[in-house]
Amino acid sequence: MGASGESGLSRRSLLAGAGLGLAAGCRQAPREAAGPVAPAFVGQSPERGHLLRSAELLSAPIDARERVAVAIVGGGVSGLCAAWQLRRRGVEDLALFELEDSLGGTARSGALPRSSYPMGAHYLPTPPRELVELHALLEDIGVIVGREHDGRLEFQSTAICAGPLERHFDPETRQWGPGLYPNLGETAAEAEQFERFWAELEALDGRRDAGGRLHFRLPARRSSGALAHLDGQSMADWLDARGYDSWRLRWFVDYACRDDYGCSAEQTSAWAGLHHFLGRGLAQNREGQLLTFPGGNGELVERIAARVALGARQRPGHLVYALDPDKGELRVRDLSTQRSIAVAAERILWAAPRYLLPHVLPRPEHDPLLPDLRAGGFSHAPWLVANVELAEHPGGLGAPLAWDNVPVIADPKARNLGYVVANHGDDRLDAHRPGAVLTYYEPLVDADPREARARLLAGDAAQWGEHVLRSLEAMHPTIRAQVRGLHVHRWGHAMVRPTPGLLFGGVLERARAPLGEGGRVRACATDVGGLPLFEEAFYAATEAADWAAERLG
Amino acid sequence: MLPPEGPASPADPGPSPASDPELAPPSAAGPRPSLLLASVLVVATCGLVYELITATMASYLLGDSVTQFSLVIGVYLSAMGLGSYLSRFVERELATRFVHVQLIIAVVGGFSAPALFFGFGLLDSIRPLLFAILILVGCCVGLEIPLLMRLMPGEQVLKDLVARVLAFDYIGALLASITFPLLFLPWLGLVRTSLMFGLFNALVALWSARAFWDQLKRPRLILAQGLVVAALCGSGFAFGDRIETLGERSLYDAPVIFSKKTRYQRLTITRWSDDIRLYIDGNLQFSSADEHRYHESLVHPAFAAREQFGDAPAKRVLILGGGDGLAVRELLRYPEIERVDLVDLDPEMTRLFRETPALSALNHGSLADPRVHVHNADAMRWLEEHRSAANSGAGERASWDVIVVDLPDPNNLSLGKLYTRSFYRLVRWALAPDGVAVVQSTSPYLSPRAFWCIVQTLDAADLHPRPYHAHVPSFGDWGYALIARSPLELPGALPTQLPPDERTKLRFLADELVPSLFAFPADQRPPEGLEINRLDTQMLVHYYDRDLASFGPLARRAGS
Repeated sequence: MGASGESGLSRRSLLAGAGLGLAAGCRQAPREAAGPVAPAFVGQSPERGHLLRSAELLSAPIDARERVAVAIVGGGVSGLCAAWQLRRRGVEDLALFELEDSLGGTARSGALPRSSYPMGAHYLPTPPRELVELHALLEDIGVIVGREHDGRLEFQSTAICAGPLERHFDPETRQWGPGLYPNLGETAAEAEQFERFWAELEALDGRRDAGGRLHFRLPARRSSGALAHLDGQSMADWLDARGYDSWRLRWFVDYACRDDYGCSAEQTSAWAGLHHFLGRGLAQNREGQLLTFPGGNGELVERIAARVALGARQRPGHLVYALDPDKGELRVRDLSTQRSIAVAAERILWAAPRYLLPHVLPRPEHDPLLPDLRAGGFSHAPWLVANVELAEHPGGLGAPLAWDNVPVIADPKARNLGYVVANHGDDRLDAHRPGAVLTYYEPLVDADPREARARLLAGDAAQWGEHVLRSLEAMHPTIRAQVRGLHVHRWGHAMVRPTPGLLFGGVLERARAPLGEGGRVRACATDVGGLPLFEEAFYAATEAADWAAERLG
Repeated sequence: MLPPEGPASPADPGPSPASDPELAPPSAAGPRPSLLLASVLVVATCGLVYELITATMASYLLGDSVTQFSLVIGVYLSAMGLGSYLSRFVERELATRFVHVQLIIAVVGGFSAPALFFGFGLLDSIRPLLFAILILVGCCVGLEIPLLMRLMPGEQVLKDLVARVLAFDYIGALLASITFPLLFLPWLGLVRTSLMFGLFNALVALWSARAFWDQLKRPRLILAQGLVVAALCGSGFAFGDRIETLGERSLYDAPVIFSKKTRYQRLTITRWSDDIRLYIDGNLQFSSADEHRYHESLVHPAFAAREQFGDAPAKRVLILGGGDGLAVRELLRYPEIERVDLVDLDPEMTRLFRETPALSALNHGSLADPRVHVHNADAMRWLEEHRSAANSGAGERASWDVIVVDLPDPNNLSLGKLYTRSFYRLVRWALAPDGVAVVQSTSPYLSPRAFWCIVQTLDAADLHPRPYHAHVPSFGDWGYALIARSPLELPGALPTQLPPDERTKLRFLADELVPSLFAFPADQRPPEGLEINRLDTQMLVHYYDRDLASFGPLARRAGS
């Protein structure tokens, strides 16, 4: 979820590695782990999601009945974008149900005294020219403030991520270097490989098929498909096949995969791995910038919610526990009043994670995606995210503190993505206040995401807090004494994993296919796009909203 | 200066006097006269040093050094006379009184310089504090010599006693008057000098407490008091670097008369004779000797250039930065101006230049003018909030006829943001279609890459920059750029809107000088291959650092 970066070659295996070892290690020093403050879990509660598994709900009597033209299930980026598009098309009769008490999904914000922070997704690259629909959204919420005489988009200055953007930490020399590629001590052969790799990207950048469709673009399904064969292999295989054996390059690419997709290079489809660099055009070729806020994409969510202004039609704290696609009926539990509501809807937009859908269907076996889910062909990566408030800004030798600060860790099992400074964009008024909030990111890339998820949920806040502190201590040995607050966020199903075969193997067609008689239900969360990106959420949602609006009676 | 048999250092009080033979009470005969004379030397030196410190502070803070020195000397001497007279009413407990007088001098004299520095920042007028310190220290110093003479062992005849004591007194004065300007002021600065002499007074007090131990009432309490005062002065001296004025001393060419770390920056004002200088975080912002060159060149060419777009006078002006009010002073020469919005980060800065007489005299009280509206905010955020409000229909679409961008040099990343293309796009948004803005652009001579990077960034922001420069001796060759929404012709003379009587008040610019500002010699052509300054790359801060590093001490505006 950070930008991109990497470094490697620490012989030390941090404790992160295997789950059992980690948990045991943490348990030995729980007090020391806590530092001056006790870590706390904040954000999404796994317990709430797991209510779906309780049979009691299904037998509870219905307390109320409602009727609505369009029901949206899920209040993350996708659900809110669907609502935004529906309202733009004049559809007012809608309701949005969100399980959690606040909107935003993985783009939610939280706050510590020094700064608000992202709990998950935290930036959006400035969209390239072809994403005109997304420009309209950003213009509507004040992120795009105008156009220059040559048509170039002009962005709100306070939304642009200020430099320095990235630095990487070399554990061997204990120095920070600028950028993400670890070039300190690079051999000529390694430099040649990096140049060759970059030349390959340049050659692919902006290329189109005979019909004028870009080979790599967003949303992914609008890409030409001419290079679909790359989806059949992993990014690591692609690197192997071309003789890329420089550990620096491989760390760099692995970092990119983990950062965007929560997968190692071995787990990521080569098409997706290349899409990371090329999906919006090579950033350096299009002068791309990053849009970010202290609260990460939570700011975007809040602005969209404010524009959509759903009022009472927006229903947080509501669990959709059953969905009849043929009748177009939802069963919803209001978790605050413990009342069950039956909602009849002409169209239902399933903007919650796609893997949840069979859990609410009367006959899960009718879900065309079920075999893929069972076989692991459509899976989600668990992430550990933590926000750490410090009394002082972190320093370090070498390159100055950047927005994204990434350790180059040799052991693939011990890798984390380092931290992003939530208050990096402080203006001059705030820059003089001491302290910082760091957002620590670590996808759990175990071979089986289910095991990683179990590991994530098994640890308590003190254990994961200690894990985060030790990872930060590897970069900043004295950081523990600076800690003033520590919020830990567990995302069991943070993002869809673009594993080989997902994007062009027919899985996503099954994930997106309307369900029910006459197709009343359509899934439109980020994951049905195959790439866990804001843009995918936006396009999945707005296309589904168009689909629903066109079919209303 | 510490008598050899003096007590333990203040930092280490050591064992209690009763248990330590070294510190045991001396015989009833009292200390040897030579030691007493040595203490006369010390207290006399201290006494004169405080006088010099106060006089120096008075002339720094209030100007007109002859008046200040005369007043301080007169008041101080008469206070000494008062103290000497009062000594006749001290009949008992001579030794105790003497020690207490020493301790009072140590505290009041020792902390006089820090108290005056902080007082200058906090008080409306520094005079009451200054004279209170002067009179109190003078009285005590006047008291101490008569008391000391009466404490001398009884066998000395009066003529010898008076001769010796007064001789040492005047030798002490000579010592002080030589060492203060030559040694202590240059090396330690005012604050540490005053604290160091406070420590000497405290040590004399401690020594005399020990020497007159059996004549003291409650000697241990007095010893404890002495140790506390010595520790205060000693730690004040030791941690003097933490008090901004001290550590900074070496950074500045002239005595620091005011220094304050505000929430956002460190403001330092120095004064040497009539030259007042302001530094922000160690970087020179202006020298009163030549700031008129800088500010006239900053303001008037923009008004002149604006006349090519029509005859309508500029009514609304925006200043970003410029909290010293000096650019506003130039703006207010135009009678048609109805409103000036000044956006400066630091409320302390604008308050200082509005309320301190010596400083508001420089800007002619411009910040108190009812047309001037001060907004203490970050310039980028302030503009962005205006644009967002206007775009969302929540606020009015404001625009300004003239915008003056007078921000500190881009020597760090948070300042560098205020020189980015994104920032200049905001300035462009705020500028009226027939408006002209001017940007302070660093020195084309000392930091050529930074200067031309700013010009290119303005060009990339579609603002048609016309760079120019003026010679400001305290800065060197200084650069600016005029910008507008459409291409600009160079101004050929001063603006016609500038009334004739104001015209004659200008001390630098004149009609024939205006076009010459826009000429650059061959060694100041733009360097090749510069990148523009973008928010996400911040190239300007990099160029600026590299330029100044290559110039070293010549780059005076950059401070160190």
